[in-house]
Amino acid sequence: MQKVQFRFYLFLVFVITFFAGPFLWQVITSLKPASELATLPPVLPSNPTFENYASVFKERPFLRVVLNSFIVATSTAFLSIGIGSLAAFALAKLEMKGKSVVLLLVLSASMFPSISIVAPLFVLLRALHLRDTLFALIFTYTVFALPFTIWVLTGFFKSIPNEVYLASRVDGCTVFQSFYRIVLPLSAPGLFSTAILVFIFSWNEFLFALVFTATVASRTAPVEIALFPGIHEVPWGEMAAASVVVTIPVVVLVFLFRQRIMEGIIMGAIKG
Amino acid sequence: MSLYRRRPQIFFLLPALFVLALVMFYPLIYVLWLSFHRRFLIFNVSEFIGFGNYVFLFLQDERFWNALYNTLYFTVTSVFLELVFGLAIAVLLSREFRGRGGVLSILLIPWVIPAVVSAKIWEWIYNPDFGILNFILKININWLGDPFWALNAAVLVDVWKATPFVVLLLIAGFQTIPNDLFKAAKVDGASSWHIFWCITLPLLKPTILVVLVFRTLDAFRVFDTIYVLTAGGPANTTETLSIYTYKLLFHILQFGYGSSVAVVIFVFTGIVTVFYMWLLSRG
Amino acid sequence: MKRSIKLTLFCFIVLLFAFSSCDKKDLEEDNRVTIVFKYGKLFGDPEPIERLIKEFESLNPDIRVKDEVLPATTDEQHQFYVINLEAGSRDFDVFSLDVIWIPEFVRAGWLRDLTHVMPPELRKEFFQGPMEVAMQNGRVYAIPWYIDAGVLYYRKDLLSKYGFSPPRTWDELVYIASEIMRKEPGIYGFLWQGKQYEGLICNVLEYIWGNGGSVVENGKIVIDSPNNKQALGFVRDLIHKYGVTPKFVTTMTEDSTTRIFAKGRAIFMRNWPYAWNILEREDSPVKGKVGFSVLPSFPGYSSFSTLGGWFLGVNNYSRHPRESEKFVRFLSSYRAQKLLSLTVGYRPTLKRIYRESDIVKTQPFTAHLYKVFEHARPRPVTPFYMVISQVMQSEFSAVITGIRNPEDALKSAKKHIEFIMGIGY
Repeated sequence: MQKVQFRFYLFLVFVITFFAGPFLWQVITSLKPASELATLPPVLPSNPTFENYASVFKERPFLRVVLNSFIVATSTAFLSIGIGSLAAFALAKLEMKGKSVVLLLVLSASMFPSISIVAPLFVLLRALHLRDTLFALIFTYTVFALPFTIWVLTGFFKSIPNEVYLASRVDGCTVFQSFYRIVLPLSAPGLFSTAILVFIFSWNEFLFALVFTATVASRTAPVEIALFPGIHEVPWGEMAAASVVVTIPVVVLVFLFRQRIMEGIIMGAIKG
Repeated sequence: MSLYRRRPQIFFLLPALFVLALVMFYPLIYVLWLSFHRRFLIFNVSEFIGFGNYVFLFLQDERFWNALYNTLYFTVTSVFLELVFGLAIAVLLSREFRGRGGVLSILLIPWVIPAVVSAKIWEWIYNPDFGILNFILKININWLGDPFWALNAAVLVDVWKATPFVVLLLIAGFQTIPNDLFKAAKVDGASSWHIFWCITLPLLKPTILVVLVFRTLDAFRVFDTIYVLTAGGPANTTETLSIYTYKLLFHILQFGYGSSVAVVIFVFTGIVTVFYMWLLSRG
Repeated sequence: MKRSIKLTLFCFIVLLFAFSSCDKKDLEEDNRVTIVFKYGKLFGDPEPIERLIKEFESLNPDIRVKDEVLPATTDEQHQFYVINLEAGSRDFDVFSLDVIWIPEFVRAGWLRDLTHVMPPELRKEFFQGPMEVAMQNGRVYAIPWYIDAGVLYYRKDLLSKYGFSPPRTWDELVYIASEIMRKEPGIYGFLWQGKQYEGLICNVLEYIWGNGGSVVENGKIVIDSPNNKQALGFVRDLIHKYGVTPKFVTTMTEDSTTRIFAKGRAIFMRNWPYAWNILEREDSPVKGKVGFSVLPSFPGYSSFSTLGGWFLGVNNYSRHPRESEKFVRFLSSYRAQKLLSLTVGYRPTLKRIYRESDIVKTQPFTAHLYKVFEHARPRPVTPFYMVISQVMQSEFSAVITGIRNPEDALKSAKKHIEFIMGIGY
């Protein structure tokens, strides 16, 4: 019994170190002054400093960029839940022919490699004069999040007993009223889980943001970090600080809403 | 009766299907169309050449086959490692213990970090001279600059990032296995290894299959991580299909040929998806 | 009901914000014409440039300059410009160009003809290398703004300690490095940029040219000549045979080589002039111990450095070409170049500045670089350069990682380049 306990804790420690270590190292790096950056030892900074964080916000439009990311992520979450819940409701509760075809179509859209359609999307956005706008990103991300959203929400809606829906119809609700007044509130936890997952996906997306944004007006955080290196210099200290800043919101989300996130993933993957 | 009354589902499905068609299906057709042309962006070259791009792609482009090999190696290796490692961790965390919630939260951190950030974190760690990995292990490996190590280093980063997701799914899968089965097996005197191999694993098959679908597709399409880590080097040993396509499109501006590679990627992911769907339906 | 009103309001505000960053239309306010100047972040203090812009505005009260810094590497900037200019963007009027993009942009018709801004007498005052690139088909399309070229840095304290003078040939460098490495354990011999990117080409070409070879000659691809094979083989030998360059050079860029050299851990380094400021900083461990010289070459051949540097160009789609030309003329003038050189130590493209006494006194490093810049040679001047670069990057990388031998690599490079330049894919 003792040996098993010991091995258990050993493995646990290893797991925690492996997964949390790199991020921790980044935090340590971000606190190192420039002169101690590219040397090992020392591993820990002799006098930790916040100068990297200061310079990230002073010398770059980082606050604006983080704000952009936040706006895009929140809007994407709202929009995709809005459009997706409508479709999921139809698939879960309404009578219709060809449900499996629609489901298959939705599923096939989820396997599109972004690289395959980034070029025509760029051309399309340019034609609509939407290049370098936040809206372009919100719109694109929403559509990319849709298959997953629809998939997951269909599962959540299906788990609401049919009698509830039918009862509301009998009581005189139109289809939409049933959807809006009854089914939606009942599945609020599921909606919330999905919204968080969509937020995380949108916060982290890179390829489209890289290609579609041209200036600070629409740039998001991951792209800004990728653009930190100058023509010859690579500001490792600042990048470490920026990485920490960009990661904190999602880490906080994770700790606060771990249960919900897990529910969302499970619903999407297992029960779907 | 109005259309809304008769077929309400149309109105519910319309917004989603419309944007999906606009943003996904229309571009796909456009890419397909582009792939039948020689379209060199700056030089105003644009001519229809039928399957010319594909002929060159499959018969003469060693760089394509190299990229395909790298992509397959990356996919197979990372998915395998994630599954094995993930299973071990899921077993570890399947029982209740104090702090389990905290451990799970910590585990989720790599998964929610942007791929770009995780690549930068690991690029810093992998530095051969002042990176902490060589320092701790007291060796001198050229992680991102050696033809052998570079792709494996990228695999490690992907394993770090995606295993938490696998663990979550597997834990959920564990919970679908009724506890009585375990109790009965223990009563019958089976060893834990035996229980795991003959009971748990087979019952986990549907979950494992789902894990495989998600991870295979994601690994096959990998872009962010490797692009930031090595940009395809050294000597194209980490150049995956996505990176090759990106370079063709945005560095060399060959929108025609680049599109044909993009179509090939799409077809491959389609085949993989259909294959897994078929496996899933067989139960 | 109240909840949905709040929700709608929220959405509306968000969308408002989102649309507020739409494509900019006309930037004219009151009577002044506003031109947008886009440039990659210069190394060092941004204040002198701001000062110059203000001065231009006061000299031209009817023009307002809005400067936007692109904080990225040259590849990212290239991508930005290509994507925008291909779409006919008018969002910027004046912009800075990397030397390697100019033939491409000229061919694409994105650069305004500036020949009248640069009459022949003026051209003679600039370095020959950059002018060769700035002029295509006898017309001038860009003004050289600042110049860059590969430099050999060395630890003069170590060299004099062991009685060596700076190497003139590559064999000498190998010998000196090996000797000193034996006596000072743990130090690296020779650092350079070997990652698979544009910097690798800059490095390898210096060996190729230093052995009398070239990539293109009289319109023919001669990259697989015996001289080049020898040169490329030598680069590989630096790592695998002589061991003076560590294997991890295949991950090195300008930044990492400077960092290691600045800690005093290497004898020789090939890098751009920008590194000097870092090496001579107050807290630098190697302050006062670094010497620099023209790059070595192979016996019997002269030395060449790869030409870097940036130019100023006017967007052909600009709505304000006259004002843009005025600005370009101002920013590349003797006065502006001198100011930037004195304050942030950038390297001017006007030759006479190098001989002026205040420059020689306060920026001795810059003054001495004159010789290096005179021998700066541009990479193949062709609109297909970016494509050729991709080919060469893979092949050179394959050789220095030991995967392919020089002969096969160069033959393959030749095949691909001929294919590209012959018919275009």
